[in-house]
Amino acid sequence: MKDKVILEINNLHKSFDDLEVLKGIDLSIHEGEVVSIIGGSGSGKSTLLRCINYLEKKTKGEIYFEGRKVESTPKSRNEFRARVGMVFQHFYLFPHKTIINNVMMGPVIVKKKDKRLARESAYRLLEKVGLEEKADVYPDMLSGGQKQRVAIARALAMEPDIMLFDEPTSALDPELVGEVLQVIQRLAKDGMTMMIVTHEMGFAKEVSDKIIFLNEGKVAEIGTPYDIFENPKDERLKSFINSIW
Amino acid sequence: MRVVSELLIEIKQFLSIVIAFAPKFLPAVLKTLELSVVSILLGTLFGLVVVALKLTKLKTLEKITNGYISIVRGTPLLLQLYFIFYGLPLIGLEFSRSTSAIIGLAFHSGAYISEIFRGSINSIHYGQEEAGKALGMSKYQIFIHIILPQAFKRSVPALGNQFIIAVKDSSLASVITITETMLIARQFVAATYNPFPILFIAGVYYYVIITIISRLLRRLERRLSVNER
Ligand SMILES: Nc1ncnc2c1ncn2[C@@H]1O[C@H](COP(=O)(O)OP(=O)(O)O)[C@@H](O)[C@H]1O
Ligand SMILES: [Mg+2]
Repeated sequence: MKDKVILEINNLHKSFDDLEVLKGIDLSIHEGEVVSIIGGSGSGKSTLLRCINYLEKKTKGEIYFEGRKVESTPKSRNEFRARVGMVFQHFYLFPHKTIINNVMMGPVIVKKKDKRLARESAYRLLEKVGLEEKADVYPDMLSGGQKQRVAIARALAMEPDIMLFDEPTSALDPELVGEVLQVIQRLAKDGMTMMIVTHEMGFAKEVSDKIIFLNEGKVAEIGTPYDIFENPKDERLKSFINSIW
Repeated sequence: MRVVSELLIEIKQFLSIVIAFAPKFLPAVLKTLELSVVSILLGTLFGLVVVALKLTKLKTLEKITNGYISIVRGTPLLLQLYFIFYGLPLIGLEFSRSTSAIIGLAFHSGAYISEIFRGSINSIHYGQEEAGKALGMSKYQIFIHIILPQAFKRSVPALGNQFIIAVKDSSLASVITITETMLIARQFVAATYNPFPILFIAGVYYYVIITIISRLLRRLERRLSVNER
């Protein structure tokens, strides 16, 4: 079942001026796979996700999506992004739009979907993340956990083939982390392909098919949760796990 | 006793001039309103166009818009009005007095308004643009649907100030002999030899216009903040 490669990253390099942040990343993500990315602060986790999505311009390397190379022309980039959902640490909801309009925005503007239909699907997505009662309020009225659930619904509204999460719970109060992780867990069960940067090790262990340990811009170790947590080989991974548990 | 009765006579005289002349101001006050409203609308349009040109980040356009802004900011409005009315005809660009005044005032406030827009556009967090990009939106769609509405809201207080300044600046149109409030006031002063009541009337008219604008702006601000806690 999980044999179709949906996203392939070849020799990805990224430098900010003189600082080389990603030093040649190779990855393949299979359909339905949940891949967590762990690693110390500054190891390049966010930069990796952002390069995949062209929010950062990569210095070198290729990205293949469903077997086709993604060109960096604006058109091809935008089409690709429309099929890749992204959830940010700080949500970035649109404060001038109600919750339902936040969720409808992508389909209506990018896909030119009929507004009534878009509203219906958006409402169903809000039900899925448990926020249908908040449909007509503004983001400012929500808690952090609720905002992040809306951000997930907004990304899902584009019916993406893969979702990228960059520390989706790091900006939340501890008591709000659970509700967001639950939503992500349910997505995993539904078979959504996901790449998740996270510091929630228990969650990563439970939800992931594969975990990547990033260190100084390189994939230092890659394996199943068991490989990574019970049987780590890389010395830096060992000390990272010790420091975080 | 004599002092009091003299004072009463003076107050009576003051009031009778005010009552006699206040209605005579109306056409000129309407002209002030026309100059202000048209130049504000046109100036806002200029401001939007200039800021949009600037956002293209094309070097030539940026130079032109920067030149425009620095000339408007670097010279007095009075001089700009003289230049448009007396200078431009020399190179074959001749406008009616009213048009000259409106062009001058709009050009002037347009430069300031474009800076207001630029400031509020820059103040929008980059995460907003990134969230739009992540949905697959084009640059143009992000600007229209995400950045502009938020930036507009943020610019309302500063725009309001600029609008009020534009009302007062319209009085400078009197130098190219447009019969607006200040010019008519000067004519009435010359006719009555009594500056105080005449200037009083002019002042009240300006004050009322500006107070109404302030009220409307405050209402707009309140309506725009429905999305805030
Ligand atoms: N826009 C940027 N300009 C310059 N340096 C950056 C930029 N973004 C990230 N970096 C640097 O790249 C390195 C990796 O950052 P990041 O990918 O955010 O790490 P992580 O998400 O793993 O904590 C850090 O040293 C950071 O300072
Ligand atoms: Mg990060």
